[in-house]
Amino acid sequence: MRAFRDIPIKQKLVVAILVTTAAGMLLSGAGILLADNILFRNNLQRDLAALSRIVADNTTAALAFNDASTASETLAALRARPHLVSACIYRTDGTILASYHRLGATQACPAPAAQSGIRSLGDNLVVSQAIMLQNRRVGSLVILYDLGEIGDRTRLFGAAILGVLLASSVVAFGLSGKLRATIATPTLRLVEAATSISKTRDFSIRAKKLSGDELGVLTDAFNEMLASIQSRERELRQAILDREAALTEADNARKFLETTLGSIGDAVISTDMEGRVMFVNPVAQAMLGYSPEQTIERPLEEVFRIVNEFTRAPVENPVSKVLREGSIVGMANHTVLISREGKEIPIDDSAAPIRDGSGVIQGTVLVFRDVTARRRAQEITRRLASIVESSQDAIVAHDLEGLFTSWNNGAQRIFGYSAEEMIGRPTSLIASPEDGDEMPEVLARIRRGERVDQYQAPRRTKDGRVIEVSITVSPILDELGRIVGASKIARDVTEQVRAAKHLAELNAALRVSNDRLARSNEDLERFAFVASHDLQEPLRMISTYSQLLVRTYPSAAESQTKMFIDYILGGTKRMRELLADLLAYAEIGARGDDPASAVDMSLVLDKVADNLKTSIDESGAQITVDRLPIVKAHEAHFIALFQNLIGNAIKYRGPLPPRIQVSMEQKDGNMRFAVTDNGIGIAPEYREKVFVPFKRLHGKNIPGTGIGLAICQRIVERYGGRIWVESEEGHGATFRFTLPFELLSNRES
Amino acid sequence: MQDETSRAKPRVLIVEDNLGDVELLRMALHTANLDCDVTVIDDGRDALDYFANPASPLPDLVVMDLNLPKNDGLEILEAMRANPRFERVPVAVFSSSSSPQERARVANLHVDRFIAKPPDLDEYLNIGWTLKDLLAKPASSI
Repeated sequence: MRAFRDIPIKQKLVVAILVTTAAGMLLSGAGILLADNILFRNNLQRDLAALSRIVADNTTAALAFNDASTASETLAALRARPHLVSACIYRTDGTILASYHRLGATQACPAPAAQSGIRSLGDNLVVSQAIMLQNRRVGSLVILYDLGEIGDRTRLFGAAILGVLLASSVVAFGLSGKLRATIATPTLRLVEAATSISKTRDFSIRAKKLSGDELGVLTDAFNEMLASIQSRERELRQAILDREAALTEADNARKFLETTLGSIGDAVISTDMEGRVMFVNPVAQAMLGYSPEQTIERPLEEVFRIVNEFTRAPVENPVSKVLREGSIVGMANHTVLISREGKEIPIDDSAAPIRDGSGVIQGTVLVFRDVTARRRAQEITRRLASIVESSQDAIVAHDLEGLFTSWNNGAQRIFGYSAEEMIGRPTSLIASPEDGDEMPEVLARIRRGERVDQYQAPRRTKDGRVIEVSITVSPILDELGRIVGASKIARDVTEQVRAAKHLAELNAALRVSNDRLARSNEDLERFAFVASHDLQEPLRMISTYSQLLVRTYPSAAESQTKMFIDYILGGTKRMRELLADLLAYAEIGARGDDPASAVDMSLVLDKVADNLKTSIDESGAQITVDRLPIVKAHEAHFIALFQNLIGNAIKYRGPLPPRIQVSMEQKDGNMRFAVTDNGIGIAPEYREKVFVPFKRLHGKNIPGTGIGLAICQRIVERYGGRIWVESEEGHGATFRFTLPFELLSNRES
Repeated sequence: MQDETSRAKPRVLIVEDNLGDVELLRMALHTANLDCDVTVIDDGRDALDYFANPASPLPDLVVMDLNLPKNDGLEILEAMRANPRFERVPVAVFSSSSSPQERARVANLHVDRFIAKPPDLDEYLNIGWTLKDLLAKPASSI
């Protein structure tokens, strides 16, 4: 049975079908056989009865007549019945009148029974039939009938049944394939689905329903179960995911908090209910001066020591205050934290209770920060504010709408409005209506982030005056760098503007007169040049032909004519000198000179001494020259300058031989040269006049045209210097002149 | 040297608008015993024409004032030096000014003498000797 139980359903089905078919066939076969047997036997009995009566009737006469042969003939007709073993006609006395025996039969006829009827005798039937004649029994017919026919039939039937059984089995087997499909396939599908699910754990697999029978129901149930498993599994998976997510989230939150607390600029300490330190972030560690190990689980007071900055009294521990009040508390002002090293740090802090999910206080968190920088910033702000307030300039600010947001004392002083009057009011209030308001345009530029350079604009003050202010605008940025307004510094430049305008007018006038002067100076120079040049020509003619006149008429030499001609010649000579000096004077101012070169003043003095050699020798003058600089100049100018000064010193000497000193000192950013002599000196009233062209203090007894010092002045002024004389009459003179320091050549002598 | 005596009288061309100076120059030449043919041109334009004309006689010496009507002496000097014919003729520039600026004007024009007109009669007459020296100098030595 175990073997059967374990064989696949397919085979079971085959077996079941075959067995069922066979059993049905066998049973029906047996039934048919039995029924046939009975029917056959009954029919046989009736047939035999009928046969026996017929035979009996037919033999009545023979019996009556004891005619054995007829009887035998009648009996012989029974030959047609192969299973009729024997038939005997008994007389009433029990003797046999006639008999029939089947060929080969050995059995004798059984004795006749008293009554007609059929009885079984072994495998045979015995039929007894009374033979009647006129209701009198004249004999008996006994027939022995072999029942082998039944056996034959039974065998025939059995063979047929077996055949049918075999055939039906084959048919059943064939059918079982189909049947198997209708039953086994859904089952197999279920099995496959189940196997697949158990292998892949994929609960989304479904068995396909192939029929509406129990297997269909089973499939449905199976699928339902799968669906249920799948949803359970999904829920389970989701639950796992949720849990994992929750764990990750918790981990992230922890990391986030750790990182936040680690990188936060504020110091953070948390404590438990007893005020013991549970957590200290790095900033707090740094401020406290303790390592984490030194702080964890210690009472807060031991590591977080705070005192009042001024009273030095310990400040109440914020943690106990939080635990007492159960709410967030801020710290008193001027709290100073004393670190482990004794460093005092001004701090600003707050403490808050930590509650669990049900609101029960678990501990406290203390957040504090070093406010040194903020205090400094506040101090700077205060200082800036005081600068703004004390500034003489107007320092104001307005927002992007053009409404004033700040207004300092300087603004009040300049514009007359107080801060209360102006804060929140538009800038147009101080615009000068006649001149137009540039402020909206400036504001638009500020809004666009453009730079606005310093500019001047008119403004109207509270009392209606129009003033000129110089304005510097800068944008005000918020923390994100966005422009939120403009700051303006305005200075009242009304006076400056007026002064500048006045100055500009003066300048213009000066420029005009300067131009005029330059022009006339130029004209003068040209005139002097042309005059001195071209006037020489006719003068020379006069002089030459006057001389020729005397030569041509020798008699005139002795007469008054000669004297007159000498006057002419004296005049022309004097005129020539004057023209030469005028030319020299004019040439100094002439434009377009060669560029200046480095002139060594010591060498200039050497050349001057050389030029004046005769008068130096004659007068016995002694000239001492200090160390002199190298100057960017024209050598000829300085030769002329020094030659005039030294020449004058010799020319206007006193009774003693001339002592002349040339020196240079640095004074007031200038080179200051001096030529000092021991000559006759100059009276104070002439100290200026000596520089006027052709102005002389002496008569013909001392030769000269009076142009020398004028030339000196012109030279010195040409180089941006100044020349003057210091002297007392009779005590020598010192001619001093300055040259700007810029003219000092870099080249060292 | 031998040529000098065998030659005809030397030709001196005076370019000068002031007749007083022309007269004095004649006297100066006379003073130096210089027997020569003197041609006078008293106008800048005429002087330019003279040097442009191939038929003009070749002078042995040119005495030229710088300040002339119409065209000034510098122009004439330039034109003269540009002409191969007159290229090597000695020139004495005769100026009313002795200023360095005046000298600088002719520095590049191959002038043999720069003579400032002197106000003294004797000095003036001595110019004759200077001009005689210039005439005696062979042209090639310039």
